[in-house]
Amino acid sequence: MADRNGAAPRVVITGIGPVTPIGTGVTAFTESLRDGRSGVAPIRSFDASDLKVRIAAEVDDFDAERYMSGKAAKRMARFSQMAVAAAHLAVEDAGLDYKALDPDCVGVVVNTGGGGVNTVLEEQELAERRGVQRASAFFVPTMAPNMAACQVSIELGLQGPVVASVAACASSITAFIDAVHLIQHGEAEVVLTGGAESSLSALAVSALANMHALSRRNDDPQGASRPFDKDRDGFVMGEGSAVCVLETLDAARARGAHVYAEVLGGGRCADAYHISAPEPDGSGAARAMRRALDSTNLKAGDVDYICAHGTGTSLNDAAETSAIKQVFGEHAYRLAVSSPKSLTGHLMGAAGAVSVTATALAIDRQLLPPTINLDTPDPDCDLDYVSNQSREAPVRVALANGFGFGGQNAVVALARVAD
Amino acid sequence: MSSTTERLIAIVAEQLRVPSEKVTLQSHLLDDLGADSLDVVDLSIAIEEEFATDDHPIEITEDVAAKMLTVQNILTFLQENGAA
Repeated sequence: MADRNGAAPRVVITGIGPVTPIGTGVTAFTESLRDGRSGVAPIRSFDASDLKVRIAAEVDDFDAERYMSGKAAKRMARFSQMAVAAAHLAVEDAGLDYKALDPDCVGVVVNTGGGGVNTVLEEQELAERRGVQRASAFFVPTMAPNMAACQVSIELGLQGPVVASVAACASSITAFIDAVHLIQHGEAEVVLTGGAESSLSALAVSALANMHALSRRNDDPQGASRPFDKDRDGFVMGEGSAVCVLETLDAARARGAHVYAEVLGGGRCADAYHISAPEPDGSGAARAMRRALDSTNLKAGDVDYICAHGTGTSLNDAAETSAIKQVFGEHAYRLAVSSPKSLTGHLMGAAGAVSVTATALAIDRQLLPPTINLDTPDPDCDLDYVSNQSREAPVRVALANGFGFGGQNAVVALARVAD
Repeated sequence: MSSTTERLIAIVAEQLRVPSEKVTLQSHLLDDLGADSLDVVDLSIAIEEEFATDDHPIEITEDVAAKMLTVQNILTFLQENGAA
């Protein structure tokens, strides 16, 4: 797959398919980023009235049968349905006639955090009610975490490598790193890449609340996700999917496709510290950002924008800010940082894909998405976070960060492609 | 159409995600209604649940399920087992 000069092919994003609490489809999603519109609201999908946390970022209007038959939808958990929807939106946005491609050349990397965990809860409840002997034949092939990726493969008829790996909240950053490898090593020519997550439940919300991971700002849902703000008190759990079309730059140019951004490379490493807390000085996150830079020809000073992991927890935002300073030195004060999670909430296994999508759009539109709810600066968080309003700015090179429970750190580097 | 038949058709339509107008007693689950082996298992469970009563439970064993190829087969089973 090397090009004429023997170099690995350049990989670009040509299509975007978001299914998110701030919009489904690239137009709605982009407008919400531009306008700083929050997708956080009181929980609707189950009764949360007795819980400590009663807010979330849900996808309200998701209709699976717009993207697949009722038969197909019935044998998918919601995270898989959302992934299939996102994949269809992405190939449509890319103008990619995927049916005309050799199916063996098209791969799928759609990662997740919890997979079909809600299916497990529902089936367990049914089993208790009607007897475990009446277990559904669909239980296992619905809840398995690989099924978002596999259903994309099944519904679109894609027969290249299908990968579904896990890295908690870093999962769909690693998706892009693996997709680039697949293309550069000649294992696929096109890869549908992203993440999917739909694991909101009373159990999950209560458990995360008991960890003190979630914001308890129940009376002000849209103000609850406030990364880098002094009064932040945790993240807001969300659901959704984002899938992008990745292909070689040569192929994109040959078919006259619109190129959002190039995926230059990425880096990943581990904190080796704690199952949920990040290394407090941010050294693990810093090493991942350095690895991402080292995987490319870039220097720290080339980076214009960092799409932060920025969950809005006390620990992450301080550690991530420290990490950025370690890597970028004085340049940390010249680049821009923002967290789309202030709008979308934290989509967990799909968060990375939302970040990469937002970053690709920032590069394409030369418009930085905001960090909303930044009312009171935290002295430990003193960088330019694009507070409250999106901003036009030159965005040539950007990083997208993801740091997961268990200490998995992953960072992707993206850049604008000259015409 | 008896109410048993109506209830049966509704369950088959719901489980196999086909319009109820498409479901007749002659419908073949696999060939006409697009069911696969997983659908047949869950359909059996749904039928057991719908037609069982507290003093009259229904059990569709795997052997019996394997022979239920048409909607009429299911109706006959229900009639023979005192559930219709």
